[in-house]
Amino acid sequence: MLTIAGLNKTYPNHKRGLEAVNVTFAPGVTAIIGPSGAGKTTLLRSINRLITPESGSVRLGDQEIRTANAKALRKIRHRIGMIFQDYNLIEELAAIDNVLHGCLGGKTWLAGILGHYTAAEQARAYELLAEVGLADFATQRCADLSGGQKQRVGIARALMQSPEVILCDEPIASLDPASTQAVMTLLGDLAKRGIMIIVNLHQVDIARQYADHIVGVNQGRIVFDGPTAGLNDAALAAIYAKEAVAEDA
Amino acid sequence: MPNLYLRQTARRRWLTLIAALGLLVAGQLWLQLNDRQAFMGVWAGLAWLVHNFTPDAAAWHDLPTITYQLWRTIVIAIAATSVAAIVAVGLGLAGAATTGRIRWLRGGVRLFASVMRNFPFVAWALVLLFSFKQNDFTGFLALFLMTIGYLTRAFIETLEEVGGGAIEALEATGARYWPIVIQGVLPAAIGGLLSWVLYMIENNIRDATLVGMLTGTGIGFTFDLYFKSFRYPSAGLVVVTLIITTIAIELLATHLRQVLTH
Amino acid sequence: MIAKPLTLTRAPQPQKRPLSRAQRATRLLLLALTAISGYALVTMHTDHLNWATAFASFWHNLQLMIVHPHLGQDSWAALLQAFANTIALAMLTTLLGAFLAFFLALATARPFAPKPLALAMRSLMAVIRAIPTILWVLVYATVIGLGNEAAVVGLTFHSVAYLTKAFAEAMETVPPAKLAALRATGCGFWLTVRHALWPEVRASLLSWTFIRFEINFTNAVAVGAAAGTGGIGYNLFMASAFNFDFQEVGLIVYLLLAFAICLEFVAVRMRKHLTH
Repeated sequence: MLTIAGLNKTYPNHKRGLEAVNVTFAPGVTAIIGPSGAGKTTLLRSINRLITPESGSVRLGDQEIRTANAKALRKIRHRIGMIFQDYNLIEELAAIDNVLHGCLGGKTWLAGILGHYTAAEQARAYELLAEVGLADFATQRCADLSGGQKQRVGIARALMQSPEVILCDEPIASLDPASTQAVMTLLGDLAKRGIMIIVNLHQVDIARQYADHIVGVNQGRIVFDGPTAGLNDAALAAIYAKEAVAEDA
Repeated sequence: MPNLYLRQTARRRWLTLIAALGLLVAGQLWLQLNDRQAFMGVWAGLAWLVHNFTPDAAAWHDLPTITYQLWRTIVIAIAATSVAAIVAVGLGLAGAATTGRIRWLRGGVRLFASVMRNFPFVAWALVLLFSFKQNDFTGFLALFLMTIGYLTRAFIETLEEVGGGAIEALEATGARYWPIVIQGVLPAAIGGLLSWVLYMIENNIRDATLVGMLTGTGIGFTFDLYFKSFRYPSAGLVVVTLIITTIAIELLATHLRQVLTH
Repeated sequence: MIAKPLTLTRAPQPQKRPLSRAQRATRLLLLALTAISGYALVTMHTDHLNWATAFASFWHNLQLMIVHPHLGQDSWAALLQAFANTIALAMLTTLLGAFLAFFLALATARPFAPKPLALAMRSLMAVIRAIPTILWVLVYATVIGLGNEAAVVGLTFHSVAYLTKAFAEAMETVPPAKLAALRATGCGFWLTVRHALWPEVRASLLSWTFIRFEINFTNAVAVGAAAGTGGIGYNLFMASAFNFDFQEVGLIVYLLLAFAICLEFVAVRMRKHLTH
């Protein structure tokens, strides 16, 4: 269970990132939607503290993330996988190398530096690549892969962490429709196997099609939180309202 | 108004042309050049070069000495560049925006690189000569100090090409700093880094003649010795071997750079 | 946590990975550099150098230079005049070099020059570049006498060869179709060069010329020191190798450093301006 309570974030230029955000993420696929600059990315990145909010709490199980020290933070991050819009792979390296990077966080410092992966880890990395449909591309340089393939390498890297949660920051914004479908279906399958999926999305129709829950963000606040079926026109209007919501609330 | 635009660009063009010509004339006047002497000298110099510098039988006897000195010079230039590269990787990691974690150190590294890059190498050579006397180590140190600034700056740029996003993604897996650098950043940047090392080796072998002349070491000293004792054919042979080596290394380096960066 | 992996469509095995060409080249190069450096460092002739005294004296002189720069035998006026000479030398040779190189580049760049001519030019320029600047200056100092003329001719030689290569490469990046468009309107060779090629390559040629100016400035100092053709390099040489006055060396170094860092600043600004 991932619980966020009273979370606030203000950027140095006084731009409000998040304001008193309370939300609890349930198992399954949760889509975070909202207009550009609403705070979707800030919310997502606060979860594994790529962004550190000023106040509030983020708890995974019984572990507080916002105030965790460096060592504890690394441990928590290792339990949370993440994939990105721009894939953020090391493009010069082969797909398999990038997947293996997923277990760096669980290694001792020396083993990490030496890049010493156990036979079991190597076998698992190949397995995961096969699972995302890239068995034949293991030794290919990532720079030579297509966008959809790169994103699947990213997912395999996240799975290598054996994560409880996977955060997806606009994972399909750079993909064509076919790859979009492949990636979203894959994320759905992972949710069925018990991994909590939290995904930032631009497109409402994709969110409706693949998500179990929807969290709507506007002006740094949660304006909708509920099952996908409950996302009616009024809710959509509130999520994508320009100024009105901030003044009313 | 389109007319105004055209008139303005025309005027700017003329002003630029006049400024360039003005600088040319001013430079000549300041240096009190004898243009005729300089111009005629070009051809006279080439004729003189061909006439005097053609290696003769005596010069070929010096070939073993020359090739030995050339070999030493190349080897020392490569060693100086490689050692400088090792130091520069450390400095580059501390100075790059993506991998440098300490803000003031980042600024410090960049300042250091800029000063070292612009430090007149003639001064290095002369100061080192005074303390370390005339030996291989002096040439090595001079080339090392000349290289470090260039490589640090180049490495910072190369390391920054491995995007912040990729590094952030590795941080999100819970990995520590050094595993990220050694397993992620360096393998991705190694082709670019080595390209720069090759470029600097090429450059340093070119500059080694001059450094050698100033520090009394290597092939530069050999040339100076022949030239000053009027053994021009032998000096010519030095030049020929230099041309062959430099071009060979340039071609090799270009080819390797292509392979390294795909 | 994942309970168990999905049933696999096929069971892939960890396989021994073939190294790519780049990876093989990287390993080979790293190995070669290590071997050569190791060999060089082990066999270095140091002539029973006393390391402690040598480093102590180097450190001492460095301190004199950096902490206590001071005028020596030369007055401010003399130093500044020599400094101006060096700048004038660098500027003149760069401008001359750029002017000549533009036309030579037209004879070297692939879209214009016939193949045999381009190849011949390329080889000639490679040979000239392979001969160190200082040798050109020494030769010309012997033929036309020690002085600014020898330095100008010597430095220009190398600048022309360097800039011709750079300019030709810049010109080759212009798509031939753009030149053809102007040809199609009935323009001849020079009109095409003036109105299609020039606007396309202007910025890149300017930035190469500026890079060469920085190189020529360094070379002008070096040539003054090694060949004795005058300029601030000669003062530097006299102060250090004859008078052992490292305080004056320090002063000259500060002067040169200040100018070079100004140039770097301008270069950075210019690059931003040109690529915006």
